[in-house]
Amino acid sequence: MSRWKYFLQRLVLTVPILLLAMSIVFLIVRAGPLDPARAIVGMGNPAGYHDVAVDLGIERAVRVDGEVRYVDVPLWQQYVDFMAGLLTLDLGQSWVIYPETSVYEVIALRAPRTLWLGFWSVLIALFVGIPLGFYAGLNPNTWGDYTASFGGIVWRAMPNFWLAVILVAVLSNSQQLFGFSWQQLVVPTNVVTAPNLGFLTDPGMFLSDPGRAFNQLLGATKQILPAAIVLGSSSMGNEMRIGRTAVLETINSNYVETARAKGVSARSIVWKHVFRNALIPLIPIITAEAFLLIGGSVIVEYIFAINGLGQLFFTAATKGDLPLVGSLAFIFILLTLSLNVLQDFLYTIIDPRVGYEEN
Amino acid sequence: MTGTEHAVHRSLRTRIRENQRPAAVWVAVLLALVALEAGALVDLTVVLVQGMVKAWPFGNPGMAGIESAKAAAEAIPTLLSRETIPNQGWRTSANGPWTNTFLGLEPMVAWLLRFALTYAYVGVLIGWFLYGYRLYREHYRQADWTPTDDVVRRFRSHSWGKFGFVVVVVFVVMAVFAPTLSPALAEENIENPYSYEMQYFDEETGSVETVFVGQANSQSTSQGAGDDNIGLWQYDDFGRFHPFGTMPNGKDLFTFMMYGARVSLFIGLLSMGIMGAFATVFAMTTAYYKGLVDLAVVIVGDSVMSIPQLLLLILAMAVFNGHWLEGIYNGGLLIALVFGLSGWPGLWRAVRGPAFQVSTEEWVDAARSFGQRPSATMRKHMLPYVVGYLLVYASMTLGGVIIGTAALSFLGIGIDAPTPEWGRAVSLGQPFIATQSWHIAMIPGLLVVAVVTAFNALGDGIRDAIDPQSEGGESETTAAAAGGGGG
Amino acid sequence: MSQQPRRQRTASEPVLSVENLRTEFHTDKEVIRAIDDVSFDVHPGETVGIVGESGSGKSVTARSIMGLVDDPGRILDGSSIRFRGEELVGKTEDEYRDVRGDGIAMVFQDPLSSLNPVYTVGNQIKEALKLHQGLTGKAATDRAAELLKAVSIPDARRRLTEYPHQFSGGMRQRAVIAMALACDPDLLICDEPTTALDVTIQAQILELLNDIQDAEDLAIVFITHDMGVIAQVADRVNVMYAGEFVEKAPVEELFANPRHPYTQSLLESIPGRGDADERLQSIEGDVPTPHGAATYCRFAPRCPKAFDECDAIHPAHVDVGEEDVEHTAACLLYPDDLPQEEALAIHQEHQTEAERTGDGDAQLVDENTPPEEEQ
Repeated sequence: MSRWKYFLQRLVLTVPILLLAMSIVFLIVRAGPLDPARAIVGMGNPAGYHDVAVDLGIERAVRVDGEVRYVDVPLWQQYVDFMAGLLTLDLGQSWVIYPETSVYEVIALRAPRTLWLGFWSVLIALFVGIPLGFYAGLNPNTWGDYTASFGGIVWRAMPNFWLAVILVAVLSNSQQLFGFSWQQLVVPTNVVTAPNLGFLTDPGMFLSDPGRAFNQLLGATKQILPAAIVLGSSSMGNEMRIGRTAVLETINSNYVETARAKGVSARSIVWKHVFRNALIPLIPIITAEAFLLIGGSVIVEYIFAINGLGQLFFTAATKGDLPLVGSLAFIFILLTLSLNVLQDFLYTIIDPRVGYEEN
Repeated sequence: MTGTEHAVHRSLRTRIRENQRPAAVWVAVLLALVALEAGALVDLTVVLVQGMVKAWPFGNPGMAGIESAKAAAEAIPTLLSRETIPNQGWRTSANGPWTNTFLGLEPMVAWLLRFALTYAYVGVLIGWFLYGYRLYREHYRQADWTPTDDVVRRFRSHSWGKFGFVVVVVFVVMAVFAPTLSPALAEENIENPYSYEMQYFDEETGSVETVFVGQANSQSTSQGAGDDNIGLWQYDDFGRFHPFGTMPNGKDLFTFMMYGARVSLFIGLLSMGIMGAFATVFAMTTAYYKGLVDLAVVIVGDSVMSIPQLLLLILAMAVFNGHWLEGIYNGGLLIALVFGLSGWPGLWRAVRGPAFQVSTEEWVDAARSFGQRPSATMRKHMLPYVVGYLLVYASMTLGGVIIGTAALSFLGIGIDAPTPEWGRAVSLGQPFIATQSWHIAMIPGLLVVAVVTAFNALGDGIRDAIDPQSEGGESETTAAAAGGGGG
Repeated sequence: MSQQPRRQRTASEPVLSVENLRTEFHTDKEVIRAIDDVSFDVHPGETVGIVGESGSGKSVTARSIMGLVDDPGRILDGSSIRFRGEELVGKTEDEYRDVRGDGIAMVFQDPLSSLNPVYTVGNQIKEALKLHQGLTGKAATDRAAELLKAVSIPDARRRLTEYPHQFSGGMRQRAVIAMALACDPDLLICDEPTTALDVTIQAQILELLNDIQDAEDLAIVFITHDMGVIAQVADRVNVMYAGEFVEKAPVEELFANPRHPYTQSLLESIPGRGDADERLQSIEGDVPTPHGAATYCRFAPRCPKAFDECDAIHPAHVDVGEEDVEHTAACLLYPDDLPQEEALAIHQEHQTEAERTGDGDAQLVDENTPPEEEQ
């Protein structure tokens, strides 16, 4: 089997996976103990209840002898409607958090903040974790290595919520602790608020009013950094550890010795022979990272008061906006699956052996 | 079977019958050791059963029986119990001697003594088991050497793994002996403080007064500002000693931590059990049948894994809010179930490799070829090889479960208050981190870090012990461990 | 044994001359003397075999010559490795790189793991061509294809674009040899190149090496544990035991007339030699791990002919062959034309001599960072 055939196979597999995952979400949301319409309307108010239930496709209005009766729609019918809606990308509307607003609008409002957060946390994890891990692997059993390895292990074990809480406290009191105020550093900002991302939604500002735009960019970056560090922390620890062992393993491999025997320079050995091989075990971290980012964003956004998608999911779930929860889950699942595909794509590019063992 | 063969392949039972003394002595001492603490163990079992039955929606058939069992458990004399070494007492006069404490010692010393003795007891118990293993090797095992010896030897020289083992033992003991280790009972101090009274020496009236525990709590709070703080290793005005200080509502943080460990361990073990069962069955069947069966499990597993675990937990806690299932162990059972049902693919993926590897071994083919039933082949010829790996990844995943549970409680949707859970302590202490009451949020966080690191270290140790060449398992390890790390 | 006539040793300068090579490994717990006082020469066009059990120090010898002994391993002061007259011990890593590949190339035991799995075979051969012959682009591709053809890989052009995992075991080893040849070396060190291969493939590889040697007048150091293989390829043989050479002889002489008890046991353990009804002999015990300079015979514990003095005197190499043959053995039984006391006296003298010249307090020299004055 060729590498690309393998990739194609993986790509095709994501279809049943998406369907099955959404079915699980359907089961929890519709067949669970909580009636979605009841959750929206609350107790009492039978008329309102039926309106919502009909709108959600849980009940159907039937005219019997000129009188309106409400009949339950069978679960399988609900399932077909639910899946059909998602697959035609009809995500419906929010009922409780943003009543009468389409999910697309809600997401357009919330997503930029989460994306901004995710972008920085991935950046931090990649550009701090991997270089540190590679450094430790190239200089094994030195103090630098021990510090990096031990730091990575402990860093990884720190719960996001705890780290976030502490970081907020430290930054809020930076004046007393370090003698300078984080809030006043470079651009004045608060420790916990959503960053102003005006420059993202209106990039023209960089031309029309560059001073303000750059100030906003700077402020938004500064505000997101603590949250991004927390969110990227566990991935960073993982990347560090795996990067270290991968480099160690590669550097002690026979082909590196062969390359040395061939007279290849130390620099070329590291960059050509070690680097690419050491990247292979780092690839699965990408999927793991997607998990950490999406799950962790709930916590981090909650603590840093960044009202992005994670926080939206949390409030929607606790406030009973189940239609919104279902649509958000669909988005998140789509996101993880895309990252899965990205992972397979990277494997296919970097490792020529992919798909070979399957033969 | 010929006579000589019979002589060679004697069962363990025959071997013990032929040489009874070492085994008998060992078992007798073990029974004596267990009997010393029987009360604590029976109590733990009763608590577990009670939690299960309490929330049962179809009537509470055995509740009365359980109550009496609990009373009976408390009546069992236990060496290291609060009754034998009490630490809660009061002075009879200003700076006068303490009454009601063990030998009239001050509460701190009495508590410390009980704490130290409990850990000493566990140390002896573990030592006795190690001794038992040595006895078995010397007297009852036929082979001079088995691969297990090498595994044990490698683990013993693995200091990182041993560190993990020690911390995990400390954690487990916290959970099992929570009532003994705590300065106060959770029932009295945390759950129903206004149902219990206590006595203390009042400086102002100069006499011994009686007060509700809840009242005492409300005057021992830690809320940062001014005098409003009982920090580490301090007494409050009611003669109660607080090793970790008090919480913002005046409850004892140390007690909260010990009982919180119980909740964390329970959820961790239960979800591990569910995950492990799924992962084992699937790993065996996919490795044995391969092909379509494997593909089916891959699809189901990937589907489950594509929903981020923390989101699934939030969703489940929201949907099941108020449902009887949520009532069992104050939400603990539900959390464990969701962790178990959503976490097995990670564990399965981690052991799939070793399972496939063993399935290509010739002894598996051989078993198959002489008509062994598939289930027997899997159990006898494949499972033993995979169990070690399962332990490794389970240990690492457990850390994720502990973090996830704490995260849910931090968000206020995990374990229902007032049942202690470490995450809730962080949440309660959050406003006071930068004040003198920093201990409330800091200590639970540090404990989580220590325990999670320890479980990872233990996993590393076991992995290096069973498979010294396997640095390559690292990526799978992380994939498994990352599952619950979203918190 | 091979039917082909042995090449005569030429009067030319040796390509490689190893003298008193001593390599140690320093770990937290102990010092391991992996190679102790090893000396040998290799001349152009000849194959020198090093044979011994696993753990006897053969591979460390190869790595010492290649300058691939890494921390915690060190080549001790007083050792000398001269290649084309140039001293290699004490060279920096950068200086050594000019020698590696360019002058000396190496073929390792495991052909799969010797090739980088993520690059094509062509890429890896061309890497060597660029480094040592300055070839790039089409010229490099052409030369690489020629090399693959030279090692009898059919369809060479297509094969260049394939990855190592697409090659069979024997083909991989051919590719590794082609890669070594791409360096255009004068000396090829083969470290158990056929051990991981099937017997038929093994024979093909040996034949290939033989052909290449004839074509390029290549000097080869051939390391193996297999007496049968040594008989096929080597012109002269060094028998290695616990870090020392215990017997040196031309190959026919060694097989016809083994003198050291260890060599004798090795030969007896080959199936098909000796009487058909005799049971195959095996050597009891394992190769010991030496921790320092020897003051006794290291083979004595396993030697069927050992006597008391073997534990007290370290044997020196003495001539044991016919007049015109270079054949030495390090054993207290020799020279056997002298009475035993006199023989022992000779060995004793050598030992005191060695101790006096400072073998005992040999200074450590890190080959990668030599003291300033040596440069």
